[in-house]
Amino acid sequence: MNTASWVLIASEAWSGALAMVQPLGGAVTAVVVGPRELADEVTASGSGDVLWLEPADGVPAEAYAGTLAAIVAAAAPRVLVSTYDPACRVVLGAASAQLHARLVPNVVGLAWAGDNVLVQRAAVGGATIETLSTDGPVAAIYAGDEVSLPARAPAPVRRLDLAPAEIRILASEPVAVATGLDDAERVVSFGRGVRAKDDVALVRGLAEALDAELACSMPIADDLGWLEKSRYVGRSGNHITPALYMAVGIAGAPQHMEGVRGAKVVAAINSDPDARIFQTADYGIVGDLYEVIPALIAEVHK
Amino acid sequence: MKAVVVYKWARNAADAIVRTDGSIDWRNARMAAGEDDPAALAAAKQIAADTDGTVIGLTIGDGDASWALARGVEQAVCVADAPNLADNGATAAVLAAAVRYIGDVDVVVIGDSKQEPGVAVALAGELGWPALVGLHSASMPAGQLQAVRRTVGEQQTLSLSTPAVLGMSAESDADQVPGMKELLAARKRPLTKVTLSDLGTPPVDLVSVGCRKPDSTPSRLFQGEPAQAAAQLVAALRAEGVL
Repeated sequence: MNTASWVLIASEAWSGALAMVQPLGGAVTAVVVGPRELADEVTASGSGDVLWLEPADGVPAEAYAGTLAAIVAAAAPRVLVSTYDPACRVVLGAASAQLHARLVPNVVGLAWAGDNVLVQRAAVGGATIETLSTDGPVAAIYAGDEVSLPARAPAPVRRLDLAPAEIRILASEPVAVATGLDDAERVVSFGRGVRAKDDVALVRGLAEALDAELACSMPIADDLGWLEKSRYVGRSGNHITPALYMAVGIAGAPQHMEGVRGAKVVAAINSDPDARIFQTADYGIVGDLYEVIPALIAEVHK
Repeated sequence: MKAVVVYKWARNAADAIVRTDGSIDWRNARMAAGEDDPAALAAAKQIAADTDGTVIGLTIGDGDASWALARGVEQAVCVADAPNLADNGATAAVLAAAVRYIGDVDVVVIGDSKQEPGVAVALAGELGWPALVGLHSASMPAGQLQAVRRTVGEQQTLSLSTPAVLGMSAESDADQVPGMKELLAARKRPLTKVTLSDLGTPPVDLVSVGCRKPDSTPSRLFQGEPAQAAAQLVAALRAEGVL
């Protein structure tokens, strides 16, 4: 039975994906697209063969998807895993089509059941874990946590030299990150539940009481301009990892919550008990922020 | 330039019911516009505007296909009997067959859904076209397809050749809700319905063998008088060691 697994890596989050295939017991091959240091880190995990491709200057990893897919397809692994990284997923999509694999997203576990692969995926926004079975090859997008891999004897790195497709980086510019936000211990953030620009002072007062940095959701910075753009949290803004993230009047759209996935504790204040943010927050107050914030400030100062 | 915008290609998971044993009741979850569909439509329209080209809508399943037609798309194709599939590759194979059915397509623009992040990339794989996903915007100035993406601390502008697949990622829940005039106009715009047998793509899926609730603790919600709720929250946060 073919038990080989390949793992696609193009960014720093890769340990969980690699750890997921190790219990399957077959030969593991990692394909690393990126700098040599990344390939060396993967090699140090001693997980098996490592193929390394360094994109040329001005060429994104996606430009190699077609040629990499052909290499993966020629090896015909039973299991192919990518991280959520956009470039990894593009390679996965190209290889999966050539392998005629079942492509499953949001995967948190893999196992054998006889000759079948069992795929555990987070479904319905993570509300349940569904187990799927197939007798064919599987392409999985990993959605679990990162893990700590024990150091093993490093595997040799085999360098790939491939021609890229016509995709180029025309320009690359830094996006400003507000000073203090990326390493803040506590962050108070607000959204459209705050009704007027003058009311931002109320939220700022809570941030000061908690010794927290002030942040906001994207529409507050982008559409309303009530806070500088360098202070919005979300998919395309800041990704922060505070011990406490307090969301005030924020609905909890997935685009916003992506920016605080690394927060230790999320607390939310929202007047709508069905607000989406209460599905992911650890703690919440259902109430009018204009009444709750003064009460919180008073309580903190007691 | 002929651009296809793929929309309403997934069920609305918010309408699914997860039972206490973790099993899923999908009966009330219809196909719905995804959170990234408005961004995909905006990009397709921009590409068409830059090239004096056209945008064709493509949708699958039992949802109301007028979503794009009421937002300025002149014609659409619907694969009405396409089932909901766990396999993102099988969904992509249906979409790829429909793109080939439309014919002579230069760019396919689709939402890079967080819930189904394999469909956009598998669609590119099925078509054998280059792809970029996680994009913020796209355009085609001076005949060159360009896309912008923002990652943490960086914004990149990229170019790519056509034909290509672009996966758009919304930055907010922004959607321009059409007025009555647009809704009425949508009813008159041509909608071509095709079937899986027309496309010759019988989908094969994985077999679901069970569900379980994840190992997580639900939110602790405090309600009632603001002072009392505030005291409870502050006490809980102090117990967590984050205050």
